[in-house]
Amino acid sequence: METLFVALALILAGGIAGLCLARQFTFMKLVTIATTSVGCGIGLVFTLPRLLSGVAVPAVSYRWLHIFTLSFRVDSISLFFLLPIFLISPLALLYSFHYLGNREKKIRAGANYFFFAVLVAAMALVVMAADMITFLLAWEIMSLSSFFLVIYDYQKKATRQAGYLYFIFAQGGALFLFAACALIYSYSASFTFTGFVAIPDLVKLSAFLLVLCGCGSKAGVLPLHIWLPYAHPAAPSHVSAVMSGVMIKMGIYGIVRFYLALAPTSAVFGQITIVLGALSGILGVVYALGQHDIKRLLAYHSVENIGIILLGLGVGMLGVATGNKTMAAFGFAGGLLHVFNHSLFKSLLFMGAGALIQQTGTAMIDRLGGLLKKMPLTGSCFLVGSISISGMPPFNGFISEFLIYYGAFYGLSLPGISFIFSALVIISLAIIGGLAAACFSKVMGIVFLGEPRDASLSAASEAGGSMILTQFVLAGACLIIGVWPDYLVRAAFQASRAIPLIAEFEVAQFMPLMVNISRTAALFLFLLIMVTGFRKLLYAGKDCPQTGTWGCGFTQPTVRMQYTGTSYADSILDFFQPFVWIRKKYAGIGKIFPGSISYDTHAEDVFANGLSLIACSITSLLGRLHWIQHGNIQLYIAYIVMTIIVLLAFF
Amino acid sequence: MINLNDALLALTVLSVLFGLGSNRLMSLVKIMACQGVVVSLIPFFRDYHHEINVGALIFLLVMLLIKGVLIPGFMYIAVKKVKIQREIEPIIGYHASLFMGLIFILVSVFIAEKLHLSLPRDKVLLMITATTTLAAGLFLIMSRRKAITQVIGYLMMENGIYLVGTALAHGAHTQFVVEFGVLLDLLVGVMIMGIILHNINSSYDDVDTALLGQLKD
Repeated sequence: METLFVALALILAGGIAGLCLARQFTFMKLVTIATTSVGCGIGLVFTLPRLLSGVAVPAVSYRWLHIFTLSFRVDSISLFFLLPIFLISPLALLYSFHYLGNREKKIRAGANYFFFAVLVAAMALVVMAADMITFLLAWEIMSLSSFFLVIYDYQKKATRQAGYLYFIFAQGGALFLFAACALIYSYSASFTFTGFVAIPDLVKLSAFLLVLCGCGSKAGVLPLHIWLPYAHPAAPSHVSAVMSGVMIKMGIYGIVRFYLALAPTSAVFGQITIVLGALSGILGVVYALGQHDIKRLLAYHSVENIGIILLGLGVGMLGVATGNKTMAAFGFAGGLLHVFNHSLFKSLLFMGAGALIQQTGTAMIDRLGGLLKKMPLTGSCFLVGSISISGMPPFNGFISEFLIYYGAFYGLSLPGISFIFSALVIISLAIIGGLAAACFSKVMGIVFLGEPRDASLSAASEAGGSMILTQFVLAGACLIIGVWPDYLVRAAFQASRAIPLIAEFEVAQFMPLMVNISRTAALFLFLLIMVTGFRKLLYAGKDCPQTGTWGCGFTQPTVRMQYTGTSYADSILDFFQPFVWIRKKYAGIGKIFPGSISYDTHAEDVFANGLSLIACSITSLLGRLHWIQHGNIQLYIAYIVMTIIVLLAFF
Repeated sequence: MINLNDALLALTVLSVLFGLGSNRLMSLVKIMACQGVVVSLIPFFRDYHHEINVGALIFLLVMLLIKGVLIPGFMYIAVKKVKIQREIEPIIGYHASLFMGLIFILVSVFIAEKLHLSLPRDKVLLMITATTTLAAGLFLIMSRRKAITQVIGYLMMENGIYLVGTALAHGAHTQFVVEFGVLLDLLVGVMIMGIILHNINSSYDDVDTALLGQLKD
């Protein structure tokens, strides 16, 4: 345990160094990245062997302010969640070496590194917390530090608004968590995460619902996902990589931790989780399809992947409730593994998007094009990320989704209505996978293939070395896990052993399954390399004429003839009509020789619109009270005095 | 001795009423200086008349220095430097303020009876004085327009709080340590006020707080 604290201290020291040395820009970046990476490295060295061997780590506790006890404990689930924290954070920092290249913003970059280090340490503490006080404390630090990371470009109005929105959701979610903890404490009289078993069932359910609201607003579960598509585009890319890749998983961790502590027996918990997961998964990817901004699109994909994770956890909970060991183990292991996998490919995709935005100066998908020729390395890494997130072999997304499918198919034989939920999981996973593939074929096709849609794109070139390196590391990790999944699958099963029912589950009998997947993936990869090599060999020495993409035999093709992302996604969005409001501005063609015509669409999020409707009505209601605020200091003080007198008189 | 005590309390109440009724800024600052001196003398004549030790003496001197000399001195400089118009500009008129002061005394008597603090007889008077000073300070903050009068009101309120502390402490001067911290805060506050007033003056050409109302959104 002390090793972990040393690691956290090193990470924080790196952040403070970033703040202090901000005047020497390059030196500061080097020192910060090196120190923080060493800290994360120590953390990884501590975490990995214990996760694989399942050795227990002794708990520690400290007194704080003479009243509170801060206690820490690391069990297998905590270890599993520590893995992405310590792996992704140093990579994102390394990425930022070239990403934050503007010398004029060096003070701001220093502050950014400081809050980044605080965020990493706070996330680790959230995972290590053994009681609710520690958990909530670390949770708040995490929310606040990430808020400061989001408002990096605080001069822009959109960024400030996004930061504000995130702040509201983070603190609102924290309020729900406080309510949940208070409810639990009022029945169990204990703050530790162990003594909740004696609570009545109904209270357990309401506490779990509160936790779902609180952690869900952090994780981006569907009705509460609204901050994600605003905060991620506003934040710098290495920050959105960590926030989307790692931080929103803390919401998932919270759900798992409270589920473990509540140890419910009813199947309702699993059913609720599955319904929420299916909703977030399907609608998340549908909304992603309608986006024009690449980082907003990726943000909606985070919602989708949180949905997949919730589906996995739901299958696991259903398995626990019905006593089906295999289903429980595969559900939880699949969900947890997807947490790790998503942290890999989502941060990879955000880093790719960051490189694109840095080089082209725009995030609008329909203004990019043909970038694979300008940025081949970034492009191929982005392709790897795209295939992984679509859940296709031989990459890592497939493995975790496969585990969830496997668990869900076991659930089809369940009695009662539970099998309906298993079927729901299978159907929604299939829909999600298909739509995600459609969405990423849109991104890859429009952004990287074809011809540049804008003259300014000709200046784009490959991004800086550290940015490429980190993307390659992540892409390599995606491939390696996809082809040799044994270790990670074993780790995920080991992690889910914290659930009593799964502890009795024998993993070994299912390991041949993994070997088969591994062999098939390797075979596929081998064939792919062979075919490509063969093609190269055949065409070697022959002269292949190359013409512009979408030329189609025209003598004067223009780049505006190309397919756009909007038209590609249009038919799919039409299908999901009641959930996506598409606002079109199009006058139609009236004359035989039409003049200039504009066509403009916006796919709008029903939930965001609903929320803004509620918010607007509340503000207009409160606006009636605006006369109270008149700017007269004397009267303000009179209000305060009046309040004090009333309070003194009544209490 | 008891007579001297009561005389000091009467002086305090008088200074409060005087402060509420005065229409010149400079005279208000002078009144506050007097009140500071009187207020810091009260605990000395009340609690330490049987044993005067070095700590208490030092404490008394520092109190006198801050309340009677430093803070009024700063305010004096602020009034001179910033060239504030010497008129106080009340929101509630002087006569009405004086009348309010009398009401405060009445209410304070009522409260001191009502609180049942089981104080010794001589301390009830102290409690009444303290509450009056506190309320008058708050009233001064609310009813005067200039920024500097608000600081003076706050100072008066602080004097009241100090007296409450004196009434409740039974000879132990550990409680004054907290009081002392508050006083240091106040000192810093007055200094900051001087700087801010200077800046407000240079950007608005006046230190009327009504102009600060333009800052609201």
